[in-house]
Amino acid sequence: MKPIVPIVSTLLLTCGVMRPAIAAEPSGKEVFQQYCSHCHSPGDDQPGTLQLGKTRGKDKALLTARTDLPPAYITLIVRNGLRAMPPFAPSDLTDAKLETLAQYLGR
Amino acid sequence: MAEALPAGISARQLNEALTRFRKIVGDSWVFSGEKARSYHDPYPVADDTQSHRASAAVAPASTEEVQQIAKIANDLRIPLWVVSRGKNFAYGGAAPVLAGSVVLDLSRMNRILEVSEKFGYALVEPGVSYFDLYNYIQEKKLKLWLDVPDPGWGSVMGNALDHGVGYTPYGDHFGMQCGMEVVLATGEVVRTGMGAMPGSNAWQLFKYGFGPYVDGIFSQSNFGIVTKMGIWLMPEPPGYRPYMITFPREEDIEQVVEIVRPLKLGNVIQNGATIRSLVLDAAIFSTKSQYFSGKGPIPDSAARQIMADHDIGMWNFCGALYGPPPVTDALWAATRDAFSAIPGAKFYFPEDRRKSPDILLHRAETMRGVPKLTEFNFLNWNGGGGHVGFSPVSPSTGEDAIKQYRMVSGRVREAGFDYMGLMAIGFKELHHVTVIVYDQNDRDERRRLDELFRTMVREAAAEGYGEYRTHIHYMDTIAGTYGWNDNALMKMNQKIKDALDPNGILSAGKSGIWPRHLRGGKP
Repeated sequence: MKPIVPIVSTLLLTCGVMRPAIAAEPSGKEVFQQYCSHCHSPGDDQPGTLQLGKTRGKDKALLTARTDLPPAYITLIVRNGLRAMPPFAPSDLTDAKLETLAQYLGR
Repeated sequence: MAEALPAGISARQLNEALTRFRKIVGDSWVFSGEKARSYHDPYPVADDTQSHRASAAVAPASTEEVQQIAKIANDLRIPLWVVSRGKNFAYGGAAPVLAGSVVLDLSRMNRILEVSEKFGYALVEPGVSYFDLYNYIQEKKLKLWLDVPDPGWGSVMGNALDHGVGYTPYGDHFGMQCGMEVVLATGEVVRTGMGAMPGSNAWQLFKYGFGPYVDGIFSQSNFGIVTKMGIWLMPEPPGYRPYMITFPREEDIEQVVEIVRPLKLGNVIQNGATIRSLVLDAAIFSTKSQYFSGKGPIPDSAARQIMADHDIGMWNFCGALYGPPPVTDALWAATRDAFSAIPGAKFYFPEDRRKSPDILLHRAETMRGVPKLTEFNFLNWNGGGGHVGFSPVSPSTGEDAIKQYRMVSGRVREAGFDYMGLMAIGFKELHHVTVIVYDQNDRDERRRLDELFRTMVREAAAEGYGEYRTHIHYMDTIAGTYGWNDNALMKMNQKIKDALDPNGILSAGKSGIWPRHLRGGKP
């Protein structure tokens, strides 16, 4: 096996930018921002917001404004997807982050 | 529902593998049963519940862990399906070709290892998304631009390895790749190009190093697991001017492509030029039901209404000018002059577009490398959510463009779908990318889609048009069209496969390349 640790160490020393792209324990709002906001923010170019508005009604278009979403339902949809929305894998959106997100949106 | 087991592997063997994987990566990073559901193809074409289903997934955090997983997979003959982030959604997402494969999910390897503003490159791991890299560059206020595909959540590395394209002058993503680290199926680690020389500081600067250039064999392939990759980034230009030119008639595509080709070859058009069809652009901001409530494709009257409502054409060419204003002014003069030959052509800059949302305002961000998910709106066109891409390549001539348009749009509409296509001229070639949006929950639509796709592949191949990329469900079909000289290329690929992956553990069936024990007489 070729030793790769020295290679990585060299990169650390010369570049100093090595870092994880994802924070360790983000808040529900931060999880939403990272994983959901690109489709579910306010705005007329947001696929999630647009679709929910057309199929559920404008008062249900914005996830962050809703009070009718049980955390368990949010978890189910995130892991299984729903029509155009694909599922999110637990390797990226971990169970812990999903729980935080579900509590945030299901508040 | 019981998950599919890998071919020839017992439940006991699979469980033993998962137990050993857990010892490497930890219990939290092996997913089986219900937890593996998110690795299924979210937009299935196959008409059964088991095709392309993963049995489990394992998510390592380092190259060393990848090596150990490969060793275990070799010991137990467990098929692994390798994904960077698994967001290749028009082509199967994270799902494997071979049912029962264990997904080797590299999304936890998400370190941005180096970004050089001086030379314009980044060295990244597979889990780094376009959003990640963009945010990093913004936070550090680096004078660099990304080149992004339409969805920004995918892997920078994965998109390049699958020959994805973008819309700046750096739009050929694999062309902008420079230097790899690869874990071979047997566990050895190889660095390509200048990375093979200890102490070299030009790994991300010069692709070829010394000897055979091998990086290409790790793209769209199953010959190794790429764990690091260099990607060239564009220096922020001193000026940027996006524009859109609209054309009113379907048949204009012939003349448009004839005009684009010399401009593109002469670098007057600097970026990845795309000519998008009416419904594709309309679907970004509206739905079919707003214009047509019947079955089948929209009628001409609806098309005219869409054009009027959105102030777009039957074809819409989005481009951008990059450089100091005197340069962009000169390029624009030449571009405008050339396209003015087409009757009814209209020319727009962002300041001419007053309504929001607007296709040019949206594309203006994409053409300067801002990652987004706005394009996912087109999946909502008919509410069905499913989509699959059909992407034949041809010479960039008007004759080929109109021929392809008539062939594909005719078949698509005949099958009851709307034509949502674009013609992308990367450099000398024309990619005709047609997205077929379907209701994934409608069995009849899926059946019609499958018949349509196979018909289009066959008819395109008969005219010499081959797909550059495809969904997991059609990899054998497409590979079969590249059969010149008694399938000589596939036979060579199989020899490479057998040499580099003797037990056939990596991504069985990727691009039609199967390991020896699953080949079954193919091709």
